[in-house]
Amino acid sequence: MNQLLLIPIVAFAKVLTVVLRLSGRGSGTALPGYLVGKYFPFALGVLVQQIPTVVAITGTNGKTTTQTMLDAMVSQGDGIKILRNKAGANLSQGILSELLKQSNALGRLDFTHAILEVEEATLPRIAALLKPQVIAVTNLYRDQLDAYGEIDRTEKLIRDGIAQCPQAQVVVNGDDPRTSRLTQGLPNPTYFVSLAEEYARFLPYEGKLHHREPGTPGLEATDIRINEDLTTDFAIHGTVADQTIEIAQARTASPGFFHVYNALTALTMATLMGLPPDLAIQGLQTFQPAFGRGEILSRQVGDKTVHYRLLLVKNPASFSLSLELLRHIPALKLILAINDNTADGKDVSWLWDSELERLNQAHLDWVLCSGIRAKDMRVRLKYALDQPPATIPTVESIQDAIDQSFAHALPGDTVFVMPTYTAMLEFRKLMGKTLDIV
Amino acid sequence: MPYSLTLTHLYPDHLNLYGDTGNLIVLRRRCQWRGIDCTITPLTMGDRPKPGQTDLYFMGGGQDNDQVAVVEDFHQLKADTIKADTEAGVVFLGVCGGYQLMGNTFLMGNGQETPGLGIINVNTKAPGTEVKQRCIGNLVAEIPDAMYQDIQSLYADPQTANSQTTDARTTDSRTGAPHTIPKTLVGFENHSGQTFLGEGVEPLAKTIAGFGNNAAADYEGARYKNVFGSYMHGSLLPKNPHFADYLIGLALRRKYQDPTLTLPPLSDTEELEAHAYAVARYGPTRD
Repeated sequence: MNQLLLIPIVAFAKVLTVVLRLSGRGSGTALPGYLVGKYFPFALGVLVQQIPTVVAITGTNGKTTTQTMLDAMVSQGDGIKILRNKAGANLSQGILSELLKQSNALGRLDFTHAILEVEEATLPRIAALLKPQVIAVTNLYRDQLDAYGEIDRTEKLIRDGIAQCPQAQVVVNGDDPRTSRLTQGLPNPTYFVSLAEEYARFLPYEGKLHHREPGTPGLEATDIRINEDLTTDFAIHGTVADQTIEIAQARTASPGFFHVYNALTALTMATLMGLPPDLAIQGLQTFQPAFGRGEILSRQVGDKTVHYRLLLVKNPASFSLSLELLRHIPALKLILAINDNTADGKDVSWLWDSELERLNQAHLDWVLCSGIRAKDMRVRLKYALDQPPATIPTVESIQDAIDQSFAHALPGDTVFVMPTYTAMLEFRKLMGKTLDIV
Repeated sequence: MPYSLTLTHLYPDHLNLYGDTGNLIVLRRRCQWRGIDCTITPLTMGDRPKPGQTDLYFMGGGQDNDQVAVVEDFHQLKADTIKADTEAGVVFLGVCGGYQLMGNTFLMGNGQETPGLGIINVNTKAPGTEVKQRCIGNLVAEIPDAMYQDIQSLYADPQTANSQTTDARTTDSRTGAPHTIPKTLVGFENHSGQTFLGEGVEPLAKTIAGFGNNAAADYEGARYKNVFGSYMHGSLLPKNPHFADYLIGLALRRKYQDPTLTLPPLSDTEELEAHAYAVARYGPTRD
């Protein structure tokens, strides 16, 4: 009966989408999902239940990259059709909008897998409707504090979400003290992904690193090497669903320890979804960094090409770890682009919790501060550097930052750009990239 | 003579929300740039300090669990020393939770009023029916004239204002250009607690934009002797270098018993531009 009820609802959503597009009021992605979710809350569950395999990824950092990696892995299987929501559309209305958009006029969804990125506070609100077979929690770092107030609360919300899905297998970051305790007292089979302690102890987790007991189900990465081209090599050992997994060398096209966790999480999820690990690792090699997360954009004028490598920063943890990577770059050219729009967080206090001091070990050639809060960024940098340059240019307009950096760079140079979320969107748009991704 | 200062960071592991550490980074660098030897000592759970061992205390805000955890330790092991020190004029800066905890009552996240340390006479209460949401956003406030004149007196070469309508200036040590010393403080607040000042406690500044102590009054922060409380994160000191220097100056003058001691000027172009930008963007529209 519910399935039949879907028909007018889907028709309404599709007409609304067309009307919104024609009237030029946005791409029509948010409003249909919002209205349908508000008046027909059962629609989400009815739509998603048609898809045989549903998995959800949540956590403060790395959702989008893990989703993209898992997509690359699962695509290796035969007869696979994957539905995924776009980065940013990870609230319930965004997920619902995607399902409405992908369904036919009868409300039918022709997909074998749904790989959904779910915002942390949204998980408990929709977990019972999604009934995911696997839930992964990448990590729990403090994000912009004005969003939810406290990380303790976020931890509780995710635990509440998992508690609604006793059937789900759970994959957590096994080094993060917060995620590794999420399923304590819950019946869910749990898999832990972790890095060998020699790496994990340098990561800015809150509280004491969770110690992994030998024989714990899940995967561990050892022999991690970050290459000069910002790819990362590592070995994988462990057990998932009673299978022993030993991979001598895996590579991700994205830089750093965070992405090793993301790859381990995606591999564990893929294995739980029945994909042979070797095939999943093959898929990982086809993975391209998600937008803004290590992505390279190039600008060419005449004979001169300059590359821009985007490393999104959204909280102290991601900022500090990306800075750690830059220590390996010869003659580093850097743009720090900080906005304080709602999606970035209106409070820029977190710049002071980010370890800009790590740049003292980098070979800094030049640095430029941009975005609405360029001047705040410059003060932070001045206090972080043992020998600050006589002047640190600030260029509030991101267009001007691109123009100036292009003029200043030598042909073939790679400029590293560390933008907040809306600064990253703007940067991509100015470089001729649309907001839609993969 | 070479000066030195000892700064004490209270509960760095537990009260470290919102970039509060930035305040210590700024104090340390500004001392270093002036050749003042600066030591930062962490004082955490289980430590029992003795009076007279520090020149400046700093305490930031924390999550509820952490604030509850520290308050008992604070009462048992630290309150007597800090009370004795602050009564003797030692400088103390508390931000948000660190400000509330110093008062008679502070507020838990669930709205429960809890006894604080009672070192300064302020009370923090739950928002009443008239205030339904948190005080959150950018905050701009103006410091009192007396404090402004004190700050001018700190600098070795202030071109002191003749009247209160003219801004005082100092000189950029790098470029020689004049710097205007701001009369404002800028920051970002995020609190549900409504703080009311009792007798003997002065407000730190008058609110121009944002809430400050509570949604009803126009005042931000508190001062009792050399104890300062503020709701300004952001962090407070990076964009308010004149206030950072004020704390350093008060601590030095007290330690070296020299009320005429002055500080060499620094090159504050970056800090003051960020300050002016915040005032222009988040303060009220100027006529």
